[in-house]
Amino acid sequence: MTSQAAAQKRSHLFRAAFLILIASYFALPLLAMARFAFQNVPMALLTPEKLLTGWSAAGLQTALTDPQIISATWTSIQIVVLSIILNLVILVPLAIVTEVRNPALRPIITALTLLPWVIPPIALVVGVAATFRIAAPWFLASNLSLVPFYALWAMPFTYRLLDAGLRAINARTLYEAARGMGASFPAVMLKVILPNMRSSMIASAALTTALVLGEFAFASLLLKSTLPTEMVTFERSDPRGGLALALFVMVFTAVILGLVVRAMRRRGLTFHASGV
Amino acid sequence: MGAFLRGNRLGLIVAVPFSAFIGLFLIYPSLVVLFKALTPGGALGLSAMTRALSGTYRSGFINSAWLSLASAVIGGAIGLALALAVKGMTRPRWLHTTLDSWSAVASQLGGVPLAFAFIATIGTQGLLTKLLMQLGVDPANFGLSISGFWGLVFVYLYFQIPLMFLVMTPAVHGLRETWREAALILGASPLQYWRSVGLPLLLPATLGGILLLFVNAFTAYSTAAVLNASLNIVPLQIRFLLQGNVITGEEDLANAIVTWVIILLLLTLLLVTLLQRRALRWTRS
Repeated sequence: MTSQAAAQKRSHLFRAAFLILIASYFALPLLAMARFAFQNVPMALLTPEKLLTGWSAAGLQTALTDPQIISATWTSIQIVVLSIILNLVILVPLAIVTEVRNPALRPIITALTLLPWVIPPIALVVGVAATFRIAAPWFLASNLSLVPFYALWAMPFTYRLLDAGLRAINARTLYEAARGMGASFPAVMLKVILPNMRSSMIASAALTTALVLGEFAFASLLLKSTLPTEMVTFERSDPRGGLALALFVMVFTAVILGLVVRAMRRRGLTFHASGV
Repeated sequence: MGAFLRGNRLGLIVAVPFSAFIGLFLIYPSLVVLFKALTPGGALGLSAMTRALSGTYRSGFINSAWLSLASAVIGGAIGLALALAVKGMTRPRWLHTTLDSWSAVASQLGGVPLAFAFIATIGTQGLLTKLLMQLGVDPANFGLSISGFWGLVFVYLYFQIPLMFLVMTPAVHGLRETWREAALILGASPLQYWRSVGLPLLLPATLGGILLLFVNAFTAYSTAAVLNASLNIVPLQIRFLLQGNVITGEEDLANAIVTWVIILLLLTLLLVTLLQRRALRWTRS
């Protein structure tokens, strides 16, 4: 018994050491980033005594007042809002009709909505350059031409969230009950189904926001000016401000994602980070 | 689709915009890429496709494959170990919720901020570089740099480990405690239990997870681009070709490379689906 207890203690110690090592791998880059962004002491001159000197948010202030960054942020906000609207306008009716009227087709529709994950931004950008650049240059000239593509990459998780939400409220039963009691089709949608889908829509909107605020490859290769691409340009001339801004955006995104994950867990849904 | 539309005006109203949207922005550009890749210079032929797998482009695929494999296997092993390590832990109480939320967040954190964070950590002026140099170890002496192979692996692990953790947690929770107890009561040693029960049960999910991580790394562009990676990898070659640095007669090279990437992704994701279906057999409670 004692040897077993000793072995158990050893395994506990081993586990704790492993977890601490992992935690430091994940914490260290964030700390280093925060130090560089907010402490105005070059790394070469940093000594233990100087650890608490020179902290200021001046870098972040420069970044947040930079005209280029402000206009790129505005562009990104427009893209976020339009992508969310486009996605919901296309997918909410599709999800509802599939669930209440044609449930047999759900697997096919789900598979179709997963397609964007097979063609990642770095691949689709070549196709877009080969088609729209020639056929519709006016379309690609606008920063807002990113909207349909971002809506596309938001489609897999949006559809899953909407579908899970509909199933969680037993949408088909609700629909049939309401219709059976004489409610008109628009009345069922507006008074019964849609109000119950609010949390799915909010969760997908938050995830779309995180996606748009983080997407760099597609925007950068199409030479668009969004927050992530301008951040990189800005960092070249002002590394401190660039890192402060990146940390700011990162924390913002992490908070949004964290809230969504928590809210979803409370409703018994799991977060599918991966495409499959 | 036929049943969807038969006598079903509503179905038509919702299906048309959806199909038009996917068709115009996803299917049409992808088919044009495929078509151009298979008709280099206007005539049907495989010359672009073979050219995309030769010379510097071949080494791009090989580098990308090694980079993705290394980050997938290492990230996969650590992610699995993490899922196993916290499985039976009930204290501290916030551990599981924090880990789950953090993994969901970190697995999505590729891109610009991540690259910046690692420049501040293992760049030439980075915090960890400085700490190591204080200890008398200069990473550059070992040929290690942030834009090199192992530098990129080290950075990619930041989103690979959490993704593996997320993928493996359901499978690890599917290993029921009663199976371990039953094995031990029947006289198996812990090692025997792992060799003939635990690992075989986790194997499909683990392989599926590693393949998913492989795909994830293979298509990652932002981090490598912002870090100015010196490694010649497929996403950076696509950038090179897109920016118009193309010798005459090689316009269809980018299309051919993308076609190969999509073939690779389709095959890998198909395999992942099969493996996950097999893994699910035991996690369904």
